[in-house]
This record gives sequence, structure tokens and C-alpha cells, in this order.
Amino acid sequence: MPDNKNIYKPIRARLNDVIEESPSIKTFVLIPEDKFSFKTGQFIELSVDGIGEAPFTPSSSPLITEKLEVTVMKTGYVTEYMHMLKPGVFMGIRGPYGSGYPVETFFGKEVLILGGGCGLAPIRSLLYTLESIKEKLEKVILCYGSKTPSDCIYKPLFDRLNNTEKFEAYRTVDKADEEWNGAVGVATMLLNNIKINIKNSVAVVCGPPVMMKFGTIRLLEMGYRDDQIYLSMEKNMSCGLGKCGHCMMGEYFVCRDGPVFTYKEIKHNPEIWK
Amino acid sequence: MKITIEDLKNVSFFDDYTDDQLKIFIEISSIKEFKVKDVLFEQYDELKEIYVLLSGCLSLGISIANEKRIRLGTLEVGHLFSWSAVFSPYISTAWVIASCPTKVLAIDAKKLNDEFDKNCAFGFKTMSKIAQTISHRLSDTRFQLMNQLTI
Repeated sequence: MPDNKNIYKPIRARLNDVIEESPSIKTFVLIPEDKFSFKTGQFIELSVDGIGEAPFTPSSSPLITEKLEVTVMKTGYVTEYMHMLKPGVFMGIRGPYGSGYPVETFFGKEVLILGGGCGLAPIRSLLYTLESIKEKLEKVILCYGSKTPSDCIYKPLFDRLNNTEKFEAYRTVDKADEEWNGAVGVATMLLNNIKINIKNSVAVVCGPPVMMKFGTIRLLEMGYRDDQIYLSMEKNMSCGLGKCGHCMMGEYFVCRDGPVFTYKEIKHNPEIWK
Repeated sequence: MKITIEDLKNVSFFDDYTDDQLKIFIEISSIKEFKVKDVLFEQYDELKEIYVLLSGCLSLGISIANEKRIRLGTLEVGHLFSWSAVFSPYISTAWVIASCPTKVLAIDAKKLNDEFDKNCAFGFKTMSKIAQTISHRLSDTRFQLMNQLTI
């Protein structure tokens, strides 16, 4: 639950910097005026006065509490307005909400992360966390796909991870340009070549619904059990409190009971990939 | 250029094969090298060899009516392609072009089919692996299609 007493009242946060990650994605660096902390995978409601609020999972490290980074894809009214904001303005933060990634259960295991598009935002926060506990992990593999090379966010992250002990990072694009000499194809293609001990690993999937679906199918084919697959179901969340019902998925409120679920928990739900 | 059993053991496609089975591949295969932009085969070519990528990088795609090439993806080292060579009508469904200097293991498809007849266990294992390759390719294609439809 949020630290502040009034659960509907946002904490003021100054927009300190805006980083352009791709033509349609920007990262907002915020300095909250009050104490604010979150667990990786939890989400916040980010608001602009007079415009509205929308849910986002922070992309920064939960270990850094003095600033918060939120990566926003331009998809609608609120996010389009956010993309026009300049450093110095104030925004509102409610939260954090939801359960986050159960990183303690990853100890002693290999972690396979499959991401697509803007789904790398929550994954980056998870990666920061996993880097901080890498001595407790066997290996971390990131497989990430974006539509084009210019749509790939956090480009320096990949080189950094590949130079970090126990970490491997792979990228692919759906459609290459002239300068791209890496892999071309969907993100699941990257799973063909990784070396992982499936019995002693967990998989995390975060990205667009199509990628989540095909990614999960491929992981099951590879031999993952449904309780080894963690899905970040960030959809239709509105109030963040399990009250409004926008994010209902079967017996769950995604905002309250998720957004991170194991595939086992939600596989019977017909709404899962919608 | 000669290839050895030890060489094949380092290639992911050949995981799970016994030394005797790897020997069969060696007897009916040769190594071929390609330069950048070399076309290994065109879409609709009749295929006589099935390939495993040993090193380098290959692009796979299809051509549309005006001969424009559309790249669908890249192939990874250790993986099999040109599977149409073992299935009638033996016509390729895509083109493959080298995008960097590349080395492949070229397996004679007719001789491979003959080996399947002689050695059913070997045939079953190999066809299962080929079916898995095709299944992944189909799944990835559906994924690409869904991506396009949901834009």
C-alpha cells in the first residue's frame, strides 16, 4: 500500500529530465517530494494536473529512492500530453501498487527474461534488482525484440549486461534497416539458441499481448512448467486499488493481485491474452 | 574441407546423436562456404541439399510479385534450414542469402532419405528435429502475422 495516508492523493514529483528512448518512447526522470519506494514489478499511477493519470511500472532501480524513472510510450491522450512535458514541471505519483516480482524465489536459479517493445521498461527495473543480487543467481539471460532498430529502447543496456558477469543479452528486430547487422525475426526466435538449465530456472515475460502469448507457448514447448513462468499483465489498470473493476481478469484484479502472475495462476482465464 | 564427429558435437542441431549417427551425416555431407551477398538458393528453387549453419550469418525471406525481396528473419548458428529438400515437391519456400562470410554443412537430401529407409531410428530422430524446426518457423510466422494485424 502507498506510504501516504490518503490513498487517492498523489505525491508531487518534479520532472527532472526527459530522455528520448525511441521516436514514440520517452523516459521521465522524477524527483518525488516525499519519501517514495517500490518493489520491482510494482506499478504506479502517474498523473498530469488537469489531464489525467495512467499506470506505469517504474523502469528505474528500486534501490535508488531519491529519483524515479518511468518510461512512457505515446499511445493515448495522457501519454501524448506527457510527451510534450519539459523538465521543471510537476507530476503526481500514486502507489506503488500490486505485488511485483517475487525475486526471493529466483535465488539459486537461472532467470530467462523475454521482453518486447516497451515491455523492457519493467524488465529494466527487474534487471537492476537482479544485478544487485547476482551472487545469489546462477545466470540471467535477456531476449528482447523490437519492431525496428530505432524502436529499441535502452540501447546501452545490452552492452552493459553482456559485460556483466552471469548476464547475457540478445536483441532482435522484426524489420531491419540498412545499418542493422544483428538478428532479424520475432523475439521468440532468440530462444532457439540460448543455453539454459530449464529445470533450475524461471522465465519472465513482459511485452505486447501477442508476444506474451507466443512467448509463453514457446517457453512451455521448451519444457517450462506453468508455475515457472511469470507474466507481467499490465493491462487496463485504472484505480490501482481493486475498486473500479477495469482490470478484472477472472477472479483477479490485475492492479491488486498482480500485475505479476505465474502462468499457472491465470492460464484458465479466457481474457489472458486480450 | 573435412568435418569430424567432434566438430558436429559442437553444433546444436546434432545434440543427442550417437557417434554412429554422426558418422552417417559426415558420409553424406560436405562443407560449403559463401561470401557476403551470395545466394544459397532462391524461393521456388528445387532443393537437393539440407543445410545446417556452422558459422556466419544468413538472411531468410520471400520475394513478392515485383521481385522485391522481403527479409523475414535471420538464421542462427547450429540451426537447420532448407528443409524442403527432404519433402516432396522439394521446392524451397523462401530464399536464403549470406549477409556475412558463412560456412554451412550441406547434407545430400536424397542420400539422407535413403538413410532414413535403412535406419528408422535415425530417420525418426532426424525427422522429429526437422518437424520441430518447421513448427518453430510456423509459430514465428504466426507471431509476425499477429504483430502486423495488431499494429
